Amino acid sequence: VSGDVRGWRIALVPDALLNPPDAAGSRLDVLRVLEACGYGVLQLPPTAGTGDAGPLLAVIADQVAEYVHHGYAVVAIGLRGEPGSGLHWRRLNGLLRHRGVAPPPRRVVDPRGRRTDEEQRLADFLLGYDVPDEQQRVWRT
Amino acid sequence: MAEHTPRKVAFVANCLLNQNAKVCQGAHYPGVVSPVVQALRARGYVLQQLPCPELAFAGVRRWWAVYEQYDTPVYRAHCRRLAQAIAPLIERHFRQGDEVILIGLDGSPSTGVRFTSSRPDWGGRPNRPQDDWDIVPRRGVWIEELEAELRRRNLPALPATGWALDMGRYDEAGSRRDLEEFLDAQAHSGMSHTEAR
Repeated sequence: VSGDVRGWRIALVPDALLNPPDAAGSRLDVLRVLEACGYGVLQLPPTAGTGDAGPLLAVIADQVAEYVHHGYAVVAIGLRGEPGSGLHWRRLNGLLRHRGVAPPPRRVVDPRGRRTDEEQRLADFLLGYDVPDEQQRVWRT
Repeated sequence: MAEHTPRKVAFVANCLLNQNAKVCQGAHYPGVVSPVVQALRARGYVLQQLPCPELAFAGVRRWWAVYEQYDTPVYRAHCRRLAQAIAPLIERHFRQGDEVILIGLDGSPSTGVRFTSSRPDWGGRPNRPQDDWDIVPRRGVWIEELEAELRRRNLPALPATGWALDMGRYDEAGSRRDLEEFLDAQAHSGMSHTEAR
């Protein structure tokens, strides 16, 4: 796609990971890792305190389906200790299934792990995933 | 119940965190628009991503379009549905006393805040020459519908600006300067409110 530098890769990210309560603390900086790996973000709503997340999850599922059906790589980054890994995982996958989409590959990060180790493992996961070459040839030219 | 410490919350256009949402030839970054994220995080904002109305409506392979082409009853109904999905989150932050702002995408037919793209005669076979549209001072369709939904909930208008990505020629430095001036004005305004209490 001429003049367009999109990365073709997107990560589903929990609100609690994108906006950690201890932003200045030791938790891994997911945005920095995603930027370095050329990923875009689809942010999941908070898992508590916001009422019914269903309508927003349905909108997110629509977007994921659109990406997956057109050659984009979509992964999920969960957060250990959060309900549904912070991803509303079961509910989201139900919505994706209805749209003909398999659960995206997922890596769950540990907020208590060493920051540098967690960031390196996450980067390895992100850089190691993409859609098959055949799909890339169809959509990304 | 624990007391809530007010936070600074920025609701940002979907494509500012995910350039894959842009129309073909519109992505200036692989994923995250780094200067926006840096400016917001440096000032202590947490990020909340708005849905992308165009992607969910016309798909990733959509044509370029101007305001007038999206100004239809069906697209507005779609935007209202998205607004009703995200508005409870905005409302919760308001009710908690958080400082809430909106960062859209200037020049966008949907997400423009200060400016949108306009060309009333666009339509039919997509063979327009380059730069054959106007930039006009007006909200995009999505932002209009989002603000209408917030009014229906008796919420005040969000302080808002746009990152000037869709203005024809992209000027990252100028966009950064505009955004930082807006954010610093918010900080000054917030300090004035605190002093007035």
